[in-house]
Amino acid sequence: MSVAAHETVLEMRAIDKAFSRVPALSGASFSARGGEVHALMGANGAGKSTMMNILGGVHQPDGGVIEIDGRPIAQASPRDARANGIGFVHQELNMLPSMTVAENVLIDEMPTRNGLVDKTRMRETTAALLVRLGCTFSPDDTVETLGMGDRQMVEIARALAGDPRILIFDEPTSSLSAREKRRLFAVIGKLREEGTAVIYITHFLDEIFAVCDRVTVMRDGRTVGSRAVGEVTSGEIVTMMLGDIHEADRLRVAAPAVGETVLEVRGLTRAGVLDRVDLRIAAGEIVGLWGLLGSGRTELLRSLVGLDPLDGGTIALRGAGVTPEALHRDVGFVTEDRRGEGLLLQQSVTRNISFANLDKVRGPLGTIDTRKERAFASGFVERLKIKLASLGQPVRTLSGGNQQKVVFARWLGTQPRLFFLDEPTRGLDVAAKTEILRLTVELAEAGAAVLIVSSELEELMRVCDRYLVIRRGRIVGERAATASREELLADIADTRPEAAA
Amino acid sequence: MSAALPAGKPASLRFAMQMALPLAIAAALLVVMYLHAPNYFRTNNLINVLIQTSSLGVMAIGLSFVMIGGGIDLSIPATMAFAAVLGAFTMPVAGIVPGILVMLATGLAVGLFNGAAVAFFGMTPFVVTLATMTVIGGATVWITDSQSVATFPEPFFDFFLSRPFGVPVAVMILVAVLAVASVVMNATGFGRALYAVGLNPKAARVARVNVPRVLLATYALSGALAGLAAVMLTARLGSASANLGNDGVVLDIVSACVVGGISIYGGAGRPIGAALGALFVILISNALNQLGISYFMNLVIKGCAIIAFVWLDRVSARIGQ
Repeated sequence: MSVAAHETVLEMRAIDKAFSRVPALSGASFSARGGEVHALMGANGAGKSTMMNILGGVHQPDGGVIEIDGRPIAQASPRDARANGIGFVHQELNMLPSMTVAENVLIDEMPTRNGLVDKTRMRETTAALLVRLGCTFSPDDTVETLGMGDRQMVEIARALAGDPRILIFDEPTSSLSAREKRRLFAVIGKLREEGTAVIYITHFLDEIFAVCDRVTVMRDGRTVGSRAVGEVTSGEIVTMMLGDIHEADRLRVAAPAVGETVLEVRGLTRAGVLDRVDLRIAAGEIVGLWGLLGSGRTELLRSLVGLDPLDGGTIALRGAGVTPEALHRDVGFVTEDRRGEGLLLQQSVTRNISFANLDKVRGPLGTIDTRKERAFASGFVERLKIKLASLGQPVRTLSGGNQQKVVFARWLGTQPRLFFLDEPTRGLDVAAKTEILRLTVELAEAGAAVLIVSSELEELMRVCDRYLVIRRGRIVGERAATASREELLADIADTRPEAAA
Repeated sequence: MSAALPAGKPASLRFAMQMALPLAIAAALLVVMYLHAPNYFRTNNLINVLIQTSSLGVMAIGLSFVMIGGGIDLSIPATMAFAAVLGAFTMPVAGIVPGILVMLATGLAVGLFNGAAVAFFGMTPFVVTLATMTVIGGATVWITDSQSVATFPEPFFDFFLSRPFGVPVAVMILVAVLAVASVVMNATGFGRALYAVGLNPKAARVARVNVPRVLLATYALSGALAGLAAVMLTARLGSASANLGNDGVVLDIVSACVVGGISIYGGAGRPIGAALGALFVILISNALNQLGISYFMNLVIKGCAIIAFVWLDRVSARIGQ
């Protein structure tokens, strides 16, 4: 392979893409050179997946140009992308577990002879690819007998079978052990030597410094910039990802905790996800759980209420030990997936608000009194200023901000002493974000303890009394409300792989 | 994101839309019957239609609980026949009331088994209930030696075949079951949780619904109502046999629900729909029968009707997205 290294192979310019009129990319650009490993980073919703799905032929751009070797290309499907020399190693391994390695590797183009599958050639082609990747398993093994790292190799072999000049890895380490990771990095290094342009999507800063040559950062559907890895610090990358944070106008004066301890957690552990987490929250306090995506922040909230499993640890609610299931009954949990987990989209606003509050709208016979139910819902609609045409309107027809207020209304009705808010402002416009944050402050002022997760530091800085820094499933530090933006960014930008707490 | 939809009461609107087609078909059929077989409209025949509807309606309401929760119960007719036979064995020995209780308890027990398999062991409802249907159907044939059991005491018939104020007891039972089921589904926490589980089990769980317990209850209810249908059917037919639960009955129950707007994808439908669907199915069978169309052609027509209504359900689910 004598591809001249360090020549620009791929150029994507001014790419636009909208989904149902919501822009995902506006004028985004990206370029990659042969023989380099190029990291693509960005917070949730920054547009990196959309960008790569366009490159991989999964989505078609609304505007912009894609050039390979200076020639514009057009592609309508992943098959076209493959023909254009673009390979994609997806994050979820889409494999056929009961079929052999060779069948999985060559599923896109089975070699045939006289119209029948040519098993001999299939085995030989696959064996050659496996040797290239340094794998020791046989093409005849079934995929279900392989570990996660080997399956990843099968997926890479499948992408390599198309002989790509550009190879995209989408968060390839998310389910790999440390040893498997090292093996993957060795393979990526080899591909680089062979002159392949490798595009590497990740949330982990340490991986960028371990394997990448260049990093491009996206934010809000645009490309913020590209830097050589040798000339950039992790702090600079985080700043590029999260944007220039203005000195936040706080929505309330931060107060040190004075209320009784509402929740106390010790040694919470879930293998590979959470590592001996300790935390304590008092009444009236808003605590920001500050970490990058994949740090375990969402998993911590979910495990606490039994939505995800736990391997160990104790939870005490106002001093009394409880199970996650019991804690769930006392927590108002706003999940990050409002449409998928928060609401019953097809049902009316009234029914969504009264759900979990049905004990408060019963008539004399113990059945639900629909008049009381409507009054209950309409009280919250007024209090939270939810904009709607009718209480009987299905929730799916409301705007995102109003949908989120419906979620809040449901939990407010249960008057919990503890709130978990996971990305409560995701996908909302600026005005709706502020309204949700105001509501968060009101919860605390009414005496509730609030644990909030957000990818946007600016938002946390407007409401939090205290920050817990979470990295790789561990609480690695704590900061007071007075912490500066730089300190907080430095906390999560720390790339020491397994830093001691 | 869909464009602005008419506000107000979309659920009722959807229901009205779904009922329009079966009502139109039923009306057309009745016109045909009026022209070809005026005898069809004799009071006696109409009451007969209602009595036939009542046991089917009770089973369809049972299935509607399971379907709204997102499942399916194919074992209802087999359970009903099994309960009928066990009740028939009990009644001459222990008396009428214990016999009835045995029928109800048998249905409930089979339902609890199905429910536990689905809710706690995560087994696929279709496969579990198909297997239960086979096991119980086989057991029924085996314990009866394929014979009918007609050992019911007279007072049993006297009560269930009586018509206080001209209304047959069976019809009263259907109306009572329908009323209770409607209140449960629309105005109790269980009912609301049931729709939530059918629409989105993840969202239900986040909202503190005990999803497995709700699922267990739906199968238990459908089993218990199969037991009740066994009581109604044995009283009408005068005997119990494995044949009560033949394959045609499964088709009738599922048709009744699908025609009645119970979504096979879960989360939508009302018990009244299942009851009207049962009436529709009986009207069609009965009318085709009177027109001299063979039983087998009847099956062809019913099967086609199910496919048409499942397609309608798919379309309306997409609109509701």
